[in-house]
Amino acid sequence: MNLAATSLFSLEGRTALLTGASGFLGRTFARTLLSNGARLVAVGRSERLDGLAAEWAKDFGAERVRSHRVDMYDLTAFSALLDEIVTSESAIDVLVNNAHELGPNSGFNSPDGTLENAPIEHWMRHVTAGLFWPALTVQKVGPLMKEHERGSIVNISTMYAQVSPDPRLYEGTSFVNPPGYSSAKAGMVAFTRYVASFWGSYGIRANAILPGPFSNTEEAGPNSVDPADPFLIRLRAKTSLGRTGQAHELAGALLFLASEASSYVTGHALSVDGGWTAI
Amino acid sequence: MRPDVAKLFDLSGQVAVITGGCGLLGFRHAEVIAAAGGIPVLVDLGWTDPAGRAREISDRYGGKALGCSADITSPADVQALLATVLAEFGTVDILINNAANNPKVEASTGGGWSRLENFSLVMWEADIAVGLTGAFLCSQVIGAEMARRTKGVIINVASDLALISPDQRLYHQEGVRPDDQPVKPVTYSVVKTGLIGLTRYLATYWADRGVRVNAISPGGVYDGQPQEFVSRLQQLIPLSRMARVDEYQGAILFLCSEASSYMTGTNLVIDGGRSTW
Repeated sequence: MNLAATSLFSLEGRTALLTGASGFLGRTFARTLLSNGARLVAVGRSERLDGLAAEWAKDFGAERVRSHRVDMYDLTAFSALLDEIVTSESAIDVLVNNAHELGPNSGFNSPDGTLENAPIEHWMRHVTAGLFWPALTVQKVGPLMKEHERGSIVNISTMYAQVSPDPRLYEGTSFVNPPGYSSAKAGMVAFTRYVASFWGSYGIRANAILPGPFSNTEEAGPNSVDPADPFLIRLRAKTSLGRTGQAHELAGALLFLASEASSYVTGHALSVDGGWTAI
Repeated sequence: MRPDVAKLFDLSGQVAVITGGCGLLGFRHAEVIAAAGGIPVLVDLGWTDPAGRAREISDRYGGKALGCSADITSPADVQALLATVLAEFGTVDILINNAANNPKVEASTGGGWSRLENFSLVMWEADIAVGLTGAFLCSQVIGAEMARRTKGVIINVASDLALISPDQRLYHQEGVRPDDQPVKPVTYSVVKTGLIGLTRYLATYWADRGVRVNAISPGGVYDGQPQEFVSRLQQLIPLSRMARVDEYQGAILFLCSEASSYMTGTNLVIDGGRSTW
């Protein structure tokens, strides 16, 4: 085995399918996969994906980037897209289930998103995004991975799969972290173990990343936080490292799990949370 | 931000103290640190030839490496170890608490010494001394030095047996009386589980001093164990195999480097899925 980091963590010659590719973390994941050698099949909803895909094609070569815009809640369209992708790709070596809905439609930062109020529409959006999307991509990509006896599935969960949000963080703010989010993401970790267990003998690995507070302070949007917001001070105080994470600090974890550097790691939930859950 | 893989995992000039550095896995940890540009310090008992093993690494990877004979259960030895490292390199950046007693009960011919009922106090104390007291002393001395310098990484090498109990049926020998059947010693589970507690304690204790502390929990490594044992163990693992000896190096490099800058207090499980079902 070549121990040089460039080789051990390389994704050269691999094809990666990434959902939620134009989101706050998704953009960083896309560049992480591309700059370490992977071909990228990027799936996302927003118009922004087109512009990003053009940038990626310019930086890494058009042949290394494929992008598809789809509303993943349109399960017929999403399913058809996945069929199209697995028919046209000779292999999918890495699958990153990153997409989730973090806006008012699923109850984030919205008064009707609370434990008392959350309607079934919110709950179903969490269950669909956190559980069914990964289940569908895994089902569709599974045959290709089995055929090649190789595959790394990385599910992006959250520390809230392991601990509850602390209500005191949200007191007196307009931020709401809805109950469906924690619940679906905890289910996602169970699903990760299930895949690891049932498909391990095919050489397919499945792991989750549990990010801590990675607040989007880089832009204004429905799930972003103003860098001067007192809410951020509360978040920082709850970590051991005394700061929130920056998106690029998930790059190492993704590369580790996606590459052969983690060839014996499966069924694991990797915490990248600045010590949030250690204390 | 375009993460550059070489830079992300680079350990150029960083000094890494590895206890049990001449052991099956300790030596591999040293290799990957050297390959990433770091300076491994192999700490082990004199008979394992730390100096010779360190030369092997510097010959192969071209950088510096140091071997130190030390008994990590002795505070004086650990103090002297730190003094030697600082005199030689002027810094210490990484500590890997890897040393532990791990007798090969899977190849045991019985006798029952490892059984709970027979396990001697002397052996209990010796195992705790190497696995836990050694990790405590190295953290107290070398970790505190890193905290003073406000930069450092500690990795504690735990085990899948920090998460699950040993399955004693793995060690069963045909034709041996029940009271003489070999078992995985109780100390192994206690030491490895204790290291997870130490990891969390140190992670929060030194979080404001720039010292990150994480654990890895490796599963069993194939090292010529009896075929019967290997085929029993494989059935307990979703990946259907034991680990290769080089499969923990990625995790070590990940946790030693800036690639894991937002990770502290965690336990990275590398067990082929054994603890997932």
